Amino acid sequence: MHIDPLEKKWAYVALAMVGLFVGIISIDALFHGINAPSNVETIDPASLHLSGEFAEDNLGVQVDDSGNVIVRVVAGRYGFYPKQITVPAGTPLTFRWSSMDVIHGIHLPMTNMSTMILPGYIAQLKTTFPKPGTYPLLCNEYCGMGHDHMWGSVTVVAKEHWTAPIKTASKKEGGSHE
Amino acid sequence: MSELSEEEREKIIKSSPVGTWALMLIVGAGMVAAWLFLYYGVFLPRGAID
Repeated sequence: MHIDPLEKKWAYVALAMVGLFVGIISIDALFHGINAPSNVETIDPASLHLSGEFAEDNLGVQVDDSGNVIVRVVAGRYGFYPKQITVPAGTPLTFRWSSMDVIHGIHLPMTNMSTMILPGYIAQLKTTFPKPGTYPLLCNEYCGMGHDHMWGSVTVVAKEHWTAPIKTASKKEGGSHE
Repeated sequence: MSELSEEEREKIIKSSPVGTWALMLIVGAGMVAAWLFLYYGVFLPRGAID
């Protein structure tokens, strides 16, 4: 098959660009631990509010025995529980989300936080918010007639202005790993 | 439309396609710069997700 030399050169340029981008992403994935979130834990959506980590008393921001900041939020038509959370900036955070009814999603504009929340599963994301500010927390999966009213907010404060919640969550996690 | 002699036309066809090289360089460099800006200037400073 004849390919014009100029066309070949354009193809080489495109391939070199793809190679560069894939190379950068691969190096970050392999050596800097930047990977797409992957977590498979199941939970019974009908009873998650009765006991375990998603019981009402355990929701929100908590610091576990190892000093890790963990945020647990339940999504349900049409709200996030708790609706407002405050976390420290520049600190590794572990977010654990679960749905009590249908598929929901979360999106925090101006951050990289975005995921689906499937009923029966725990969606876990680890991230750090570098800049203090108030970020809207939006449901980005259509979940019913009240979908557009389903929102909350995440307030990120400077680490020195953040006070860790007094209560710590040392309870056994509600989900089961698979 | 300019009138080219057969000699001029032949010379243009056989010469190096400078305009194409320039376009290739500008488009390639622009796309690489835009990607690097989005990755290192926007995505990573917002806090990587894991």
